Amino acid sequence: MTGAEQLLAVRGLRTVFPTRRGLLAACNGVDLQIAAGEALGVVGESGSGKSVTFLSVLGLIRPPGRIEAGEILFEGRNLIGLSTAARRALRGRAMALVMQDSLSALNPALTIGTQIVETILAHGLARTRAAARDRAVDLLHRVGIPAPGRRLDDYPHQFSGGMRQRAMIAIALAAEPKLLIADEPTTALDVTIRAQVLDLIDRLRRESGLAVAMITHDLAVVAERCERIVVMYAGEVVEEGPTAEVIARPRHPYTRGLLASLPSLEDPDRPIDAIPGQVPDLTRVETGCRFRNRCPLAVDLCTRPVELRAVGANRRSRCIRAEEVT
Amino acid sequence: MTVSRLVERLLQLLLVLFGVSLIVFLMITLTPGDPVEIMLADQRATAEQAEALRRDLGLDRPLAERFFIFLGNAVQGEFGISFFHRRPVWDVIAERLPATIELTLVALLVAITVAIPLGVIAAVKRDTLLDRALSAASLFGVSLPGFWFGILLILLFAVELRLLPVGGRIGFGFDVPRVTGFLLIDTLVAGEVAALRNVLAHLTLPAITLGLPTAALLARVVRSSMAEVLASDYVLFAEAKGLPRRRVLLLHALKNALIPAVTVTAIETGQLLGGNMIVETVFGWPGLGRLVVESIFARNYPLVQAAVLLYAVTYVTLNFAADLLYTVLNP
Repeated sequence: MTGAEQLLAVRGLRTVFPTRRGLLAACNGVDLQIAAGEALGVVGESGSGKSVTFLSVLGLIRPPGRIEAGEILFEGRNLIGLSTAARRALRGRAMALVMQDSLSALNPALTIGTQIVETILAHGLARTRAAARDRAVDLLHRVGIPAPGRRLDDYPHQFSGGMRQRAMIAIALAAEPKLLIADEPTTALDVTIRAQVLDLIDRLRRESGLAVAMITHDLAVVAERCERIVVMYAGEVVEEGPTAEVIARPRHPYTRGLLASLPSLEDPDRPIDAIPGQVPDLTRVETGCRFRNRCPLAVDLCTRPVELRAVGANRRSRCIRAEEVT
Repeated sequence: MTVSRLVERLLQLLLVLFGVSLIVFLMITLTPGDPVEIMLADQRATAEQAEALRRDLGLDRPLAERFFIFLGNAVQGEFGISFFHRRPVWDVIAERLPATIELTLVALLVAITVAIPLGVIAAVKRDTLLDRALSAASLFGVSLPGFWFGILLILLFAVELRLLPVGGRIGFGFDVPRVTGFLLIDTLVAGEVAALRNVLAHLTLPAITLGLPTAALLARVVRSSMAEVLASDYVLFAEAKGLPRRRVLLLHALKNALIPAVTVTAIETGQLLGGNMIVETVFGWPGLGRLVVESIFARNYPLVQAAVLLYAVTYVTLNFAADLLYTVLNP
C-alpha cells in the first residue's frame, strides 16, 4: 500500500516530550493509514499515544513537545516540514478535530455563531459575514439542532451537553474537511445521547464521504461503526485489522485483554477480566515488547525488539506469538 | 449575580464603610497635636480665644459624641467646615478632585497600554529568555518606590534633558476657562491646542510614575491568566479550526484572559486614586492626595475624615463594580 492511495498515511511517527525524568516518546514509530471515506477506530487506554498521534497529524504538538521522526502523508503530501501557514490552511479545511468535552472545547466567551462563522471565513468559504451566517445555520440544521437561526447567538453554556457536542461537530465540519478526527467524542456524554452523536457522525460520513478517525478507549464505540481498527499500547501500534476480525479473533494479547475487560451483553454473569499491571513508564522503556510485563503469553524472547508484522490478509500484529493468541 | 447575593454585598459594603469611618476618626483624633494650637500658632491668642475657637469647632465635646455627630452628618452627605479653609469640606475636595481623577485615568491608560502587550508576549513566549527578562522587569516595577522613581524621572527629563515640565498641571501664561476641572477636556473645549500640549507635558511624568508600578503588576496578572488560557482546550480547538494565530491569541485567548485582569484593574484604580499622595507631593500636583497630606499636617480633622471616607467609598465601589463586570464578561 503506498501513501498516494491513502487519504492519510502516518509512517514511523515519533513524537517526544522532554520531561524532568527524561525524554518521553508518546508515539514511538506509529504507522497507520486511513482511506478516503473510511472510518478507522483507534483504540487504546490513556497514555497509549492515540491522541498525540493525531495532534501530530494536525500539527498541534505544543512545544517543548516535538515530532522527532516519521512522515505524515496527507493525499500523498508529507506534512512534516511544511510551513506554519501551510499547516494552518490544512487545519479545519483538510482535517478537523472534535474533542471529548464540548464545554471546555468551545470558547465560553464567544457565541456558537461566531465560532462557526470565523471558521468559514478563515478558509474563504464565504465572501461576506452574512453568507457565512447562512452557512452556519445550514450546518447547525444538518447536525440536528432545532431552530438553528435562533441558537446561533447563544453561548456554549446555554446549550445542553448533547446539543453542544452537535454544535462542536458543526464547527468541525464548517470548512468541509476530508478527515474528521474525533477524539473520544462521546466519552463525556450520557449513554442515551452517546448513540445519537455516533449516529450523527455516521450519517455525516455517508452524506459527504468524510473519513473518520474515531479515537477511543472504548472498543464498544468502534465495534459497529468502524471498518478497521488500530490498537495502540504505550506509544506503539500493537494490532491492526478489519474490526469484525480483530474482535472475533484478536492477534495480540493486549487486544484480547481489552476485549475480556468489556462487559458482555450475552453473558452478564461472565466476570470482567481487567488487565493486571500498568502501562510502563514511557521515559524508562526497555527494548522488546512493551506489554510483556502484563502479558500472560510472555516468554524470554519478548525482550528482543518486536516488529509489527503481517498475520493473515490485511492484519498486522506486534506479537511474536500472535498465532497462539486465542 | 443573584439578588440575595447583591443585597449581601451591599450590606458588607456598608459595614466596611462604618469600620473605616471609625478607624479614621480614632486615628486622626488620637494623633498627638492640637488643631487649635496649630491654627493659632502665629497669632498671639489668649486662652479664652483658644477656648472659644475650640468650642466653635466642636472639639470640646467628648470623643464618642464627636464620632456620632460626624457619622450622622456623613450619612446626610455633610462633612462640615474645613478648619483651615473655613469653607465646606466638600467644596474644597470637589475643587481638587478633577486633578486627581485626571492623573489617575491617564496613569491607568499608561498601565493598560504597557501591561497587556507585555503580558501577552510573556505568556506566548513562556519560559524563553524574553519571558524571564519581562518577569524580572515587572518584579522591579512592582517594587519601585514611587517617590524615588518620580524624583529620578524629574532629574532626568526635567532637570538634565529639559524635555518636560515639572510641578503643577499647566504652565503659567495659559488661561483656560474652567468648565469641568479636567484640563484635558477644558483645553480641548476651548480649542487651545498649545495649552492642551502643555497639559499633556505636565501629565507625562506623574502619570508614568504612578502608572508603571501598576503596569508591572497588571502585566503579571495578564501573563499568568493568558498562559493558563493558552493551555486550554478551546484554544487548541480554535487552532484546530485553522484560524489565524492572531485571532486565536487576541480574540479566543485574550478575551478570556482579560477577565481576571479587569478585576485587578478595578482594584488597582482604587489603589491609584488613594495612593497617589506621594506622587502628587513629589510633582506638586494640586490634587486630593496633596490636600490630604497638607490636612494631616494641619490636623484638619473634618477634611481628612471626609477624604479618607471618600477613598474608602471609591475603593469598595470599584471592587463591587469589578464583581459585577466579572459576571458580564463571563456569561
